[in-house]
Amino acid sequence: MSIFASMGAAVGLLIGLIICVILFRYANTDKKIKTEYDERQQIVRYRAYRLAFYTIMVFEALVCIAGIGGFELPMVSYVQHFTGVMIGATVLGVYCIWHDVYWGLNNNKTRYMLIFVFTAILNCIPIIGAAKSGNLITDGKLGMAALNIMVIAMLIVVAVTLLIKQIADKGGKGEEE
Amino acid sequence: MKNLKLKAARAGKDMSQEDLAAKCGVSRQTISAVEKGDYNPTINLCIAICKALDKTLDELFWE
Repeated sequence: MSIFASMGAAVGLLIGLIICVILFRYANTDKKIKTEYDERQQIVRYRAYRLAFYTIMVFEALVCIAGIGGFELPMVSYVQHFTGVMIGATVLGVYCIWHDVYWGLNNNKTRYMLIFVFTAILNCIPIIGAAKSGNLITDGKLGMAALNIMVIAMLIVVAVTLLIKQIADKGGKGEEE
Repeated sequence: MKNLKLKAARAGKDMSQEDLAAKCGVSRQTISAVEKGDYNPTINLCIAICKALDKTLDELFWE
């Protein structure tokens, strides 16, 4: 990747970050960027972050071992590392959903769901572009568009887990446990 | 161990878990976890719950 491509990616990430800050302010009921959690939620979330951290560590170790052994994964280097980050983020999300600590005290769930849909649509654009121009796979390896595919995959896993959790809560114990 | 005294006090005040959670500034699931005995609240949360239900710490949290 050239220096211009790296700079472009950095600028893109920065713009994404700014959009996130604006969206979080919109999505939180008290217009704060930071999501508030109660004491139990914070404790459980610490465990979730620890689990996500270990997941990324194991993934990176496996990538290292594969590299040392001369195995070539069907994706370019930066996509490999991003895969680890996405797997970690997915573990964090699923663990939090399953332990009732995904939603903070000041989160507006409907607005967050709209942001998820908006994010999924935004991530579809580069995939469609790459598919049309035939750049989805170059030299037998997944390229830049794979990043967007992984983000969408993570959103789908989170959405499905939210749905399953909702069904499990309603079917099993009800609102007042 | 389940905290039945807390559950009874809440029911006595005709409050839902959601109502009590809002008064204490925590999530409904946290109140549910305290009632089920799945989570040991800090003294701060115990006091907030006691104030919301007009009870003392002894009445709700002493064996």
